[in-house]
Amino acid sequence: MSLRQRSVPYWLLAPGLLWLILFFVVPMYFMGELALRSGSVTTGFTLTWEWSNFGDSLSGHTEQILRSVFYAGTATLLALLIAYPLAYAIAFRAKRFQLLLLFAVVAPFFTTYLIRTIAWKTILSDSSPVVSVLQTLQLVPQDGRVLATSGAVIAGLTYNFLPFMILPLYANLERLDGRLIEAAKDLYSSSTQAFLRVTLPLTMPGIVAGVLLTFIPAFGDYVNAQLLGGTGQAMVGNVIQSLYLSQRAYPEAAALSFLMMALILAVVTIYIRFAGTGAFMGDEEEAK
Amino acid sequence: MSAPARAWAWLRHNALLIYAGLAVTYMLIPIFVIAIFSFGDTPKDKLTYALGNGFTFEYWETMFSLPELNEALFTSLRLAFFSTLIATAIGTAMAIALVRHKFRGRHVSNLLIVIPMATPEVVIGASLLSMFIYYSFSLGFTTLLIAHVMFSISFVVVVVRSRLIGFDRKLEEAAADLYASPFTTFRTVTLPLLAPGILAAGLLAFALSIDDFVISNFNSGTTVTFPLYVYGVSLRGIPVQVNALATLLFLVAVIAAGLVVWQQRRAEKMAAVRPETEAKPVTA
Amino acid sequence: MEPGKNKTERATAFVAMLVAAAVLALGLAACGGTTGGGNTGEKTTAEGGEVTGDLTISNWPGYIVPGKDGTIAQFEDASGVNVKYIEDVNDNEVFFNKLQPQLEEGDSGGRSIMVLTGWMAKQMYDLGYLQEINHADLPTVFENMVPSLLDASYDPGRKFSVPWQSGMTGIWVDTAKAPEIKSVNDLFDPKYKGKVTMLLELRDTVALVMQAEGVDPEEATNEEWMKAVDKVKGAVESGQIRRFTGNDYTEELTAGNIVAAIGWSGDASIIENPNAEWRMPTEGCVLWSDNMVIPVGAPNTPAALGWMEYVYDPKVAAELAEYITYLSPVEGLEQIFAKTNPKMAKDPLVIPDEEFQKNCSSQVSPPDAEAVNKAWQEVVTG
Repeated sequence: MSLRQRSVPYWLLAPGLLWLILFFVVPMYFMGELALRSGSVTTGFTLTWEWSNFGDSLSGHTEQILRSVFYAGTATLLALLIAYPLAYAIAFRAKRFQLLLLFAVVAPFFTTYLIRTIAWKTILSDSSPVVSVLQTLQLVPQDGRVLATSGAVIAGLTYNFLPFMILPLYANLERLDGRLIEAAKDLYSSSTQAFLRVTLPLTMPGIVAGVLLTFIPAFGDYVNAQLLGGTGQAMVGNVIQSLYLSQRAYPEAAALSFLMMALILAVVTIYIRFAGTGAFMGDEEEAK
Repeated sequence: MSAPARAWAWLRHNALLIYAGLAVTYMLIPIFVIAIFSFGDTPKDKLTYALGNGFTFEYWETMFSLPELNEALFTSLRLAFFSTLIATAIGTAMAIALVRHKFRGRHVSNLLIVIPMATPEVVIGASLLSMFIYYSFSLGFTTLLIAHVMFSISFVVVVVRSRLIGFDRKLEEAAADLYASPFTTFRTVTLPLLAPGILAAGLLAFALSIDDFVISNFNSGTTVTFPLYVYGVSLRGIPVQVNALATLLFLVAVIAAGLVVWQQRRAEKMAAVRPETEAKPVTA
Repeated sequence: MEPGKNKTERATAFVAMLVAAAVLALGLAACGGTTGGGNTGEKTTAEGGEVTGDLTISNWPGYIVPGKDGTIAQFEDASGVNVKYIEDVNDNEVFFNKLQPQLEEGDSGGRSIMVLTGWMAKQMYDLGYLQEINHADLPTVFENMVPSLLDASYDPGRKFSVPWQSGMTGIWVDTAKAPEIKSVNDLFDPKYKGKVTMLLELRDTVALVMQAEGVDPEEATNEEWMKAVDKVKGAVESGQIRRFTGNDYTEELTAGNIVAAIGWSGDASIIENPNAEWRMPTEGCVLWSDNMVIPVGAPNTPAALGWMEYVYDPKVAAELAEYITYLSPVEGLEQIFAKTNPKMAKDPLVIPDEEFQKNCSSQVSPPDAEAVNKAWQEVVTG
């Protein structure tokens, strides 16, 4: 390969890497340094290599951390169950309406996160017809409520992050060769088997991408918990926001943030290993 | 076949489409609610979720009469446009490099792309703010743009990469066999086939930017984006015009999609008329 | 590729990246870091002068008459000043945090006026983030100010703050569902479980809870604050309290999700519930003021002072009071309302009434604000 050809990847990567280093890595360094300080806003924060900040923030907020994993995990699962058939339908069964449906899926995003969530708040408010129906169906106790419960928060998370699941699934499904499925149907006795043995494995990269893109922001979200939840539904994001903005406990906030990142990275690594694909990391040969 | 059997067969055959319809309806429920309440008359022109006051077009007519709202909306659109452009370009380039080329530092690059996605927005926002202050970089549109591009790049890479994987290289090899240069191959074969993935990534980047609240909240200075404006007014009464605008934005997006589809159908019809000269567009 | 080589390569690459990033960051961080501690230099006084140019004001939402005939438009016509009015103060603490790094450097982000609640104004002043105000530059203000506001516990002698509006924290009650609620203690009654909200602001909620137990917040010790925090904590754990809110308790009342809320006296115009009524708790309310302050580094302070003068004109103040429905800091509105809005002339929620407020305490911070706030945040953040 000529030098010119060999340097192509570096040229392609350079702008992105530079941007990420300058505007992500460097601020993270500042944040890491902050996590090791102690003090307060009035007395100033000094660097005292306070490693205990990490342990303290973890032990002090275990409840919210576990709760966030549960909420985000449930929301991701629900999103996957809802999104996969939808993405499949758009990719294979809606030839003429494909783009339209895609837009219909992404368009709600254009109406602002907050407005959408506030709309759900109305739809699920105690005196709304929706809740009355749910009560009649015994899904909600007679004197119970939907808002300010875990269910409402999970429902909000699922709804708000659904496009994050649909788009990667679609992008992956769309380039799946329909003939492979036909061939599978010829060989396997039912569509179900064809699906399980051919389609599903081939769309794994899309599923991996969708799950990660949904779980991670859901995990760090605080808007849904704040608007749709009540006391007892706070997530890690709410804690971090409180620490940064309401308590000005920057070292603790920074330490907790770092722990969150570490936790997510651990989950991501385990998940990728389990899903058995280096395909996500971009090695074509492994994908084949 | 008997009638019930036929009905059942029809149901089974179209189950997926019916499901898709239901799912899309579910996604649009809040939009309906938002739209409905944009027509409700309210005493102080502030949104309330009580429908007792009657129907009016007033808020649609005066949609652009609030200067702060207009400014916020325009800012958000400008921001999203530029941030999408930059992030999609940078991200696609990165995805191609990562999937197609072997080079040193690939694992580091992968890491660098994944980690921002694993970081809570509160953290990204706050850390960026402290850096901007440190270097006395004045907060405003530029800092917002920097932040938005930063968090969009990773998503673009992931989406485009997901499409690139398993991409049939044979088509490109065929082009090369026909003496096309790498650049021409890229332009006429790879890029068009990659287009749906890039489009999806671009859509995602645009949506992420226009919707972003947390990171913008930290890095905006006195610049007000649409979500920040909504947050500000949500605590003391949202002007009903906001709902009207939100509905309008949604309609614009849908109409745009409709236009694209209509255009596509026309192209197909033209192709049908001249079979010898027109090659069928390559679809997956 | 051999797997072994892969792993080592990855590890080395990762470490290399970290080192490079650290070196890069350290290299860039040549100057000293800003890490709090406040400005301890001399306090500057805001300069007076000709009222022209541009003015940027940060205020709470809903605190001004909007639109083409609103207060801003009228001021711009009268003075020729070009005003940028931003409603970005939603919470004192959050606003402080957003601005603190800049204020540390003497930069107000372009703002010439900010409106902050009394205790936060004091906090900022103590940290050196505010400029002092010369009374000679504000004749109208000090002539028309309600006498009880001329002095404040957070700003004796009004060195740096000028009240914008005052308010009272008490109880909002849905009289159709819970007409018998008259005291903050009633909010702890199990029959209202899950149908009660309280404010996020500890200087409102905890103070009222203490007051209902017979403790005067202005004299309370840390232990007494903490005891009240614990009482609320118990209510959270039992599910008594549905949520902690900012202004959004008004939505809950409108939607019928709650029967009572700790809330502010001036929010009647936002609550679309004909049965909702603000009640002065039997043990008294908490009295607070939101104040205009001039930050360090404020551009065009003469225009800022001009704005303050303008809003203390009784005619302007009456318009504001009628729209905002909070306590006006300007005297003499009864005469104006007697002609235009007789009901409001007697409204104790708009015209300060000493008799009405006799049991109320002024809003104060706990002696050890940080410790109490930390405990409180644990309670309200689920």
